[in-house]
Amino acid sequence: MNLLRQHAEVQFSEEIEELKKQDSGHLPPNWHLSPQAVVTYLMGAKLKNGFEVSPKYIGDRRLMEIAVATLTTDRALLLYGLPGTAKSWVSEHLAAAVSGDSTLLIQGTAGTGEEAIRYGWNYARLLAEGPTEGALVTTPMMTAMKDGKIARIEELTRISADVQDTLITILSEKSMPIPELSTEVQAIKGFNVIATANNRDKGVNELSGALKRRFNTVILPVPDSADEEVDIVRRRVASMAKTLDLPAQAPALVEIQRIVKIFRELRSGATEDGKIKLKTPTGTMSTAEAISVVNNGLALAAHFGDGVLNAQDLAAGLVGAVVKDPVQDKVVWKEYLETVVKTREEWKDIYRACRELSI
Amino acid sequence: MPIHILGIRHHGVGSAKNVREQLKLLQPDMILVEGPPEITDALQRIGHADLKPPVSVMVYNTENPKQSVFYPFAEYSPEWVAAAYAHQNNIPLRAIDLPAAIGFQMANDEIKEASEAAENPNEPLENEEVLEPMEGIAVRDPLHYLADIAGFTSGSEFWEHYFEKQHFSLHPTEHFEAVTTAITALRDEQIPSALEKENHYREAYMRELMRKAQNELYQNIVIVCGAWHAPALLDLDKTAKADSKILRSLPKTKIKTMATWIPWTNKRLSLTSGYGAGIESPGWAEHLWKTPHEYDLRWLTKVASVFRKKQVDISTAHVIEASRLAESLAALRQQAHPNLGELNEAVLAVMCMGDGIMLNLVREELIVGKKLGKVPDDVPKVPLQGDFERSLKSLRLPLTANAKQYDLDLRNENDLQRSIFLHRLELLGMTWPKRADSRSKGTFRESWTLEWEPEMMISLIEKAYLGNTIEIATQQVVIQQLETETSVGNIATLIQRAIPAELFGVMELLLTKLNDLATLSSDVIDLMTAYPPLVQISRYGNVRKTDLSLMQTLVERLIIRICIGLPNACYGLDDANADKMFVKIGQVNEAILLNDIAETSALWLETLKKLLEKTGISPLIMGCTCRLLLDAQHLSDEEANRHLSYSLSIANTPTDVAAWLEGFLRGSGMILIYDHKLWNLVYQWVASLTPEIFMELLPILRRTFSKFEYAERRQIGEKAKKGQIIDTNTNITTSSSLLDTERAEQILPVLKMLMGNV
Repeated sequence: MNLLRQHAEVQFSEEIEELKKQDSGHLPPNWHLSPQAVVTYLMGAKLKNGFEVSPKYIGDRRLMEIAVATLTTDRALLLYGLPGTAKSWVSEHLAAAVSGDSTLLIQGTAGTGEEAIRYGWNYARLLAEGPTEGALVTTPMMTAMKDGKIARIEELTRISADVQDTLITILSEKSMPIPELSTEVQAIKGFNVIATANNRDKGVNELSGALKRRFNTVILPVPDSADEEVDIVRRRVASMAKTLDLPAQAPALVEIQRIVKIFRELRSGATEDGKIKLKTPTGTMSTAEAISVVNNGLALAAHFGDGVLNAQDLAAGLVGAVVKDPVQDKVVWKEYLETVVKTREEWKDIYRACRELSI
Repeated sequence: MPIHILGIRHHGVGSAKNVREQLKLLQPDMILVEGPPEITDALQRIGHADLKPPVSVMVYNTENPKQSVFYPFAEYSPEWVAAAYAHQNNIPLRAIDLPAAIGFQMANDEIKEASEAAENPNEPLENEEVLEPMEGIAVRDPLHYLADIAGFTSGSEFWEHYFEKQHFSLHPTEHFEAVTTAITALRDEQIPSALEKENHYREAYMRELMRKAQNELYQNIVIVCGAWHAPALLDLDKTAKADSKILRSLPKTKIKTMATWIPWTNKRLSLTSGYGAGIESPGWAEHLWKTPHEYDLRWLTKVASVFRKKQVDISTAHVIEASRLAESLAALRQQAHPNLGELNEAVLAVMCMGDGIMLNLVREELIVGKKLGKVPDDVPKVPLQGDFERSLKSLRLPLTANAKQYDLDLRNENDLQRSIFLHRLELLGMTWPKRADSRSKGTFRESWTLEWEPEMMISLIEKAYLGNTIEIATQQVVIQQLETETSVGNIATLIQRAIPAELFGVMELLLTKLNDLATLSSDVIDLMTAYPPLVQISRYGNVRKTDLSLMQTLVERLIIRICIGLPNACYGLDDANADKMFVKIGQVNEAILLNDIAETSALWLETLKKLLEKTGISPLIMGCTCRLLLDAQHLSDEEANRHLSYSLSIANTPTDVAAWLEGFLRGSGMILIYDHKLWNLVYQWVASLTPEIFMELLPILRRTFSKFEYAERRQIGEKAKKGQIIDTNTNITTSSSLLDTERAEQILPVLKMLMGNV
């Protein structure tokens, strides 16, 4: 296979099959796995026959339980959170585990129109045949309703408000009227919607009260502990370095720990020991960004450096990740450099590297 | 002659319900509850309308009220239920446990031993909690063993599931049998509990008091005690001999104790106290107690109404959806009914848009609850009042209705103690002591006016919940202020106030908070306000027992922040703010001179220099900056000259010129008279002006100079007649040559004495 990236249900098909075999829980109609098994699929575990299910989400199990329990009710699920907190990742795996299909996806943008959610027309046939079933262009949403599957909407809040509201009928009546054909599509059991949205962006289209009420919201938080975060960064960097064929050496754990520490401290607004409070930058400082800082550093080290990741390679990406607003963030970063980084004996190299870049 | 032992969990709702039912069935003629005998009298008040839970019995050492234990009660505490039953049916009620006095004595002995064992006897720790877990060893909750077998994650979860849930209801008799069986199984295996050592004595004492009740020929005795003790109290006859031996080994004590009721809050119920058992969610427990049916749905409607009160739109549909989600979650977790955890998660997902902040509201209002108990007026005095009166006596400060002035000399020990006491009362918000102007100058003198009004005692009693002594209560006040304070300057003032009150216990908290605020504050003026007092404290402050190094790093960090922020903060200020900034820069500069650390001074001067090179900053500040740099010899004469003539050029607006000059002279004409260097600078500048430009500038200069005192102006005028002072160094050399060394040496011994033999 030469695909750059595979769908979750293909990549993890073996795990899903094993879980199916072992599954003794009650299956809701049209679900491929029982709710308990879906949670196991997401959180990872060793099955009774010794088969190892890899963890997809590293974090609080209770959150995944709320998400899965929501899908068993007739409310839709809204995954909310900062950019880079694995919202889309979780939504893809949920859809893959629940209905064995994560491809029924609608990407929300400012230009997403009603026809992307409800249905469109093939105008050539519409002119030739008039409004018929054949001239109708179905959407992932319609397919999901017909087949009793999970439909996914990415970045729900980027879609303009009037288009968002077309979801209301679908979510409450579970049907999609097609007045042109005097008919409707009624959802089969097993249908539900998972939407993701991020709560950092300014100028997004806030959900209307009516629509909000049809979603149960789960906020995916930033990782709890430093170890958890280091674990996530290491796993992802390793897997990405493989796909990108970076010739550099795998980064030392200490470098990753250092980057994660800087990210965590700036994000939480306090040093790890809790002794010094810090200002927080305007950016999100998400785990995903930490991963990209390390990847950037690796690429720099591979193509322009000596193949070993060092402070110089990291500094450029690091400063770029922190200083998003040239005025406010500069002050934040400078304060952090002078009051925290400078005082750490073993951080001299990164202090110097960042000072040289001084912006 | 039956004895019925009802093993309960303190504040357990299920336990309380079973106790209530069981008492109705048993119809006892005597009820014994766990608790020191000292509280027996206090317990008789339960059932009176004026005593409204949550309340707590406080037992304290009359000599040292700091040593105290609390026995809090809620409406659903099994002991409360039992006492209320006793009151209603006129049955005698007694508390059986080790007397608190003996507990205090044991704690004191332990401290004594510990301090004797150590070579350098450390300061005795004030033990507020008498019942402390076995030192060093973390003892596992014994119920954990059962929980492991049954597949629960914790002992309390196990207990909760089998013994507190109403849907898992046994007949009350069976319930208590099951409890006793479970605990007996654990105790037979010699599994230790956290309070093993104390339990040994306590259970012996309990048995002894039970025998006493038996000997008084009560026929039907019910004992309500913590489940762990239940098996140990079963056999009274066999243990009689061993018990008397154990009881003889108890220490004798002369400690006198008092028991009194004090109002309690739900928040405090959720803390561990006297019994060694606290509950996390008193509000939820109360809900369970009062709502026997459909508790989950009714809970959600309560949550909805809290949200509605706070202007959050929550519809009935929300409640329905939340209830369904809670049920699905319970099913997913294989539970028969949703618990608080599931309900919270459902509320979070359905009503709060996943936002934990809104759930905090529910926690505050409902899960913990804001209930405050009430205690009748005629209960005995509170310890804070006692401590206050004791202090008055020992410090010889009588309460008088007419104002009396006290002039304190802080070098005198008694006066120093008085001063500390009065400073504390002031922080406590008492209006009794009022600061008066001291008649004599000097840092060791203080004057106070004291005028007593009866209302003041009430305000003191109101503060009783803060702590048992004035010191502790004052600390509590400072901590409360601290929590809501957002200004760095105010915290610095608070620190300045806490030092004469000798509240060293909170100093670290204050410093940490200051540090936190200083980091977040983007208000440079605020930081600059805080800096001078902090330097004062760290330089001269009497901060005994406080980590001064922390203070020092804090001060350093503060100046770094000020230096980073200052250039931006000086942009585009209007006149009023520029004036403020001008004053602050002066104050910080002084503090930096006082602090006298080369690195800090260098940083500060560098910042000032940066400031000087910027544009768009108020001329008042520019002038001031120029002058400070000149003083610090960080600016050469030529540079200063350049700045002076640039800023005073005719192209500038007249007001700007006047402001610059004002800033440069820092509002005082004196400096022109005495500082020849400065004089020469200004003189040279005036001399360099062409007559036309001089004429144009004259009104502006007049404006600046007219602010000076008349005498100053006259002297300046006279100096101007003499022209430029050529040799600025002469006055120093001449003065030194005039010195009569012999006579000067004569005063050296006196100077030495004054300065303390350096």
